[in-house]
Amino acid sequence: MDLTYTPRQQAFRSEVREWLKANVPAKPLLTLECEEGYHQHVAWERQLARGNWGMVTWPEAFGGRGLDLIEWLIFEEEYWGAGAPLRVNQNGIFLLGPTIMEYGTEEQKARFLTPMAAGEKIWAQAWSEPGAGSDMAAIKTTAFRSGDHYVINGQKTWSSRASFADWGFGLFRTEEGSQRHKGLSFILFDLDTPGVTRRPIRQLHGHPGFAELFFDDVRVPIENRLAGEGDGWKVAMATAGFERGLMLRSPGRFQATARRLVELFRQHQHQASPAAREAVVKAWMDTQAYAYNTYAVAAKIMAGGSIGAEASLNKIFWSELDRTMHRTALQLLGAAAELRHFADGRVNDWLEGYMFSLSGPIYAGSNEIQRNITAERLLGMPRVGAG
Amino acid sequence: MDMALSPERLELAEAVRAYLSDTHGPGVLRRLDAGLNRDPAIWQGLIDMGLPGLLVPEEQGGLGMGLLDAALIARECGRVALAEPLVESAFVAVPWLVARGETDELAAIAAGERRIAPAHRLNGAVADGEGAALDSIDPLRNLSELPVDASDDPLLLDLGAIMAAAQLVGLAEAMLDQAVGYSNIRTQFGQPVGGFQAIKHKLADVAVALEFARPVLWRAAQALEDGSTSASLHVSHAKLAATDAAYLSAESAIQVHGAMGYTYEVDLHFWMKRSWALGGTWGSRAFHLDRIDRAVIGGTHLIGPENTFA
Repeated sequence: MDLTYTPRQQAFRSEVREWLKANVPAKPLLTLECEEGYHQHVAWERQLARGNWGMVTWPEAFGGRGLDLIEWLIFEEEYWGAGAPLRVNQNGIFLLGPTIMEYGTEEQKARFLTPMAAGEKIWAQAWSEPGAGSDMAAIKTTAFRSGDHYVINGQKTWSSRASFADWGFGLFRTEEGSQRHKGLSFILFDLDTPGVTRRPIRQLHGHPGFAELFFDDVRVPIENRLAGEGDGWKVAMATAGFERGLMLRSPGRFQATARRLVELFRQHQHQASPAAREAVVKAWMDTQAYAYNTYAVAAKIMAGGSIGAEASLNKIFWSELDRTMHRTALQLLGAAAELRHFADGRVNDWLEGYMFSLSGPIYAGSNEIQRNITAERLLGMPRVGAG
Repeated sequence: MDMALSPERLELAEAVRAYLSDTHGPGVLRRLDAGLNRDPAIWQGLIDMGLPGLLVPEEQGGLGMGLLDAALIARECGRVALAEPLVESAFVAVPWLVARGETDELAAIAAGERRIAPAHRLNGAVADGEGAALDSIDPLRNLSELPVDASDDPLLLDLGAIMAAAQLVGLAEAMLDQAVGYSNIRTQFGQPVGGFQAIKHKLADVAVALEFARPVLWRAAQALEDGSTSASLHVSHAKLAATDAAYLSAESAIQVHGAMGYTYEVDLHFWMKRSWALGGTWGSRAFHLDRIDRAVIGGTHLIGPENTFA
């Protein structure tokens, strides 16, 4: 165990820090859940790509820097520390990207990864259906072969980014009459293909952050399928692993929140309860614990290991931690908690963040499902009932 | 930067785990409880593995290993609720004596002939000391009054706290295993109770607490080994995380055992009581929270994502 950074890692940190200092927008962008804010965030993705920061771990051939996971963590720490914008292409770069890296053909890697890192194509996910939420194997939307195309029919819902994004990925039933986890394929599709109808859904905060997708005879070329026909479940589980595990929520995001919470506490100490004080201390502790764990997982992967069901522990921890920190902040704000904008015009990020944090324990597989996975696959408790 | 526990480092801890799981099961705890609490044969086994000398420098006949290695083994001692005073003598007192340059007794300690009961003023009592006996709820803990010359050295406190934290993690892991084991065999409503989500989710929460206590523990042990200026802060973090995980594991495990868990007959109580004992010693919850509060809210420690390893 070595808790010090190498000179090369320190130099990389300085390089990231300087670039961000010169480039992070001084004025916060509008929320990426509204149309104008979405486009601001896309412009930011492209600015990042011009600095070659799109996805530092990817090979240079695809617009990355070929760096390792420790360097990625350093990048993320600086990124969140600098208060840089949310990554509007997170479905692409953090979830689909690593999945393509693992399961894609060379042709698919070149075709999809490069524009992804460049911020040219923004990705939406299309997992859930009206009858397939926590029970994702109940997917009904079909993609049956017709010559060299799949013809998609059905409906997806809660598709993050789909209101405005360019492309989507999801699981579709490619084998007629198949049941549950079998007969599913992982397919990528252009959201502007004829027959795709997007219906934005207004979220808790009032913006159309996700959408329903309707598919009416949507023709998608078979080369848009990732891995083998019928292998979709396996591929989707890998994507879910990236989502719950290492990539989607790097610790820097939460450490930055904890630091803001400490600052908020200092401003409100005179009216804070002892319980709030302990919650603030615990926010620092838990975000640090999450960071140490992530560094340990990164070291494990770099040594040739992989993440399995432990990703569920991660997802439970960060999502509930994020909610707790934002709740603590609202309690500190007291009567000002309800204001969408403070009197000086600043957005009440704690309120927006609290609303967003309520989605964390639901998306990427609800925390109830994660607790089942933990109990059954990590602890070896009996699987009864749910299939 | 490398947060991994290398396979070479884990080798000794795994050997200790295998040895203790073979020789130090719940039956041993019952036998000790019914008798004299301590057993020279168990102590001899620990000597045979070289453990009393783990942290004694090689020139004094020890293995010259570090605090992270010791923490890994203290966790194994917690897993089996070891009653012999190995951890406090070999992993708390020895590195303290080494740091103070007091090397006279190290060879005898490494040989297992001499044991030191470290006494700190923050503890109300001393374990395996020589004063008037005090009555601990832990039936295998030999507690006595704090000697008048007890130390107030912060380093001794940090050493005691990190090794208590390591044992607490092991205790919590063992109680989780016991609860899972019981939930798999106890049937109600025609199925193992472990099949019910109410039970699964309770124990999943313990798994989460442990997953995020362990790296804090290893990081703190390494920081203390490195003599990092922020080591005390990280030790306090580890002690709190481990204590909270142990209490959660204990309360969840007794609940999963139902009324059986409330009996003296079921093994769980040995682990639960040791957790209560170690949770409160080597700095109370309030003490460790206050140290973190001063650093984090007080602003003496750099926080935020760029300062993960500050």
